[in-house]
Amino acid sequence: MELYRKSASQLAAMLRSKEVSAVEIARETLARIEAAEPAVDAFLSVNAEAALTQAAEVDRKLAAGEAVGALAGIPVAVKDNICTKGTATTCASKILEHFAPPYNATVVEKLLAADAILPGKVNMDEFAMGGSCENSAFKATKNPWDTTRVPGGSSGGSAASVAACEVPLSLGSDTGGSVRCPAGLCGIVGLKPTYGAVSRFGLVAFASSLDQIGPMARTVDDAALLFSVICGQDAAHDATSKPYAFSGIEEMRDCKGLRIGVPAEYFGEGVSDEVKAAVRKAVDDYRAMGAEIVELSLPSTPYALSAYYIISSAEASSNLARYDGVKYGYSGRRDGSLNDLYLTTRSEGFGKEVKRRIMLGTYVLSSGYYDAYYKRAKMLQRMIAREFSDAFERCDIIVTPTTPATAFGLGEKLGDPLAMYASDICTTTVNIAGLPALSVPCGFDAAGLPIGMQLIGPKWSEAKLLGAAKCYETAKGGFAVKEM
Amino acid sequence: MDFDVKHIAKLAMLQFTDEEAAEFEKEFASIVGMVENLPELESAGTLLDESDTMELREDTVTPSYPRDEMLKNAPHAVAGCIVVPKTVEQ
Repeated sequence: MELYRKSASQLAAMLRSKEVSAVEIARETLARIEAAEPAVDAFLSVNAEAALTQAAEVDRKLAAGEAVGALAGIPVAVKDNICTKGTATTCASKILEHFAPPYNATVVEKLLAADAILPGKVNMDEFAMGGSCENSAFKATKNPWDTTRVPGGSSGGSAASVAACEVPLSLGSDTGGSVRCPAGLCGIVGLKPTYGAVSRFGLVAFASSLDQIGPMARTVDDAALLFSVICGQDAAHDATSKPYAFSGIEEMRDCKGLRIGVPAEYFGEGVSDEVKAAVRKAVDDYRAMGAEIVELSLPSTPYALSAYYIISSAEASSNLARYDGVKYGYSGRRDGSLNDLYLTTRSEGFGKEVKRRIMLGTYVLSSGYYDAYYKRAKMLQRMIAREFSDAFERCDIIVTPTTPATAFGLGEKLGDPLAMYASDICTTTVNIAGLPALSVPCGFDAAGLPIGMQLIGPKWSEAKLLGAAKCYETAKGGFAVKEM
Repeated sequence: MDFDVKHIAKLAMLQFTDEEAAEFEKEFASIVGMVENLPELESAGTLLDESDTMELREDTVTPSYPRDEMLKNAPHAVAGCIVVPKTVEQ
């Protein structure tokens, strides 16, 4: 098997047994990126020199017998809304096109401390707003399974780069499904951690009360490995991060005794028959492995999309107020008043979808409308969270589809914001309730496009979620990797 | 549902041409229509989860980032200061 197709765990073992050097892995990765990019367009910037320098340092440490970190020599692609010191962090927006942060995000510091190799930054929907990766100001990333289709979003570059074997691991961010949806559409594993499990310091804010950074990989073990490196409290920088003792996947020989909840609301209108059938089949597979299946109802689910778009847009409208053309980023007209500078900066710098969200957020928070929208959405948030905790009295994990359909064509939903928003119907509840959830491949549709199932757990249950996912992966003999 | 796109744009510090505003108005009507899909709910007391509070660190003085580093991203800086259009009349 070619080096680039190996998982992070395999590469780490080969590095330990000196079958391969970190520089060889880095060179192979850069060559694979060069070969795959014309078809996939996942990367916004590639930093070959930094990757090779980092790899040489790992080889030096290994040769000198020094201890190395858990990700030594392993390439990790980083979504372009996560700050990397001195190198472009654009959020795929014209407004940050030339922004080079003066500091690293905490997760990037952790990757570097674990001796990971960072070959570059990957594409996304502008400011993580979108479900197709087409809202990037710079380019549209393609789905490696069918390059006429979208990879999903917003972490489309993170998903496509892993699915195309350009890198074994990537980091995405998930506010309403942005790690899980593209993972589902690209046939890989993506974890949205419990809110507070991973520091948000240096993650450019979209909706601060919902955003989480999450790992993406081709195997469950690899996702767990990357999660173990990035999780943990960051008391100095993020007041919402919590202490977390994640000590790896919960080992499950089979699924005996595991209670799996199946909520009816996630298998209703708007979800394609092929997706429903594939997820139902996976539930049957779990039953065959000894799991107990519990039919559930989560009655507030149909309102979640509204609550999500209200809360996230409200937060986005205030978070994005900082882009005023004064301290950093794109700057508009300077020959008029300060107000003209603000107006031209924002109107020329932001893309269409970002403007829609800012406008919606401004509207729902504006005088006279707060009670009707924001307050009701926050009340619904409490209800959704309560329904989940009641459900977890009766089951250990919940299984649903990740996306209502498989990957759609490039351009297909660009002119229809509501159709695009509906891609998130299965995932937003999880962010609203602050829960962890994992997307795992569970088959293909008739066109050969991957289908993802979502495993949702109570807060801080990542070990169990990953354990249940690994049981399924083992039973299936591993997940398919696209030949390109 | 009632909204005034021009007024919201003013609050949001965005400007639209008449053509853009017309297109936006149509889209916005459907988006607002979607988010109005919320049930009538009795106020359930506080909207915050009191069991899940933030942890604040000690407020201690630590070295900050060097000024030159921070100003590297400024669109227009002179003599260590950020320059903006004049805001007061002479």
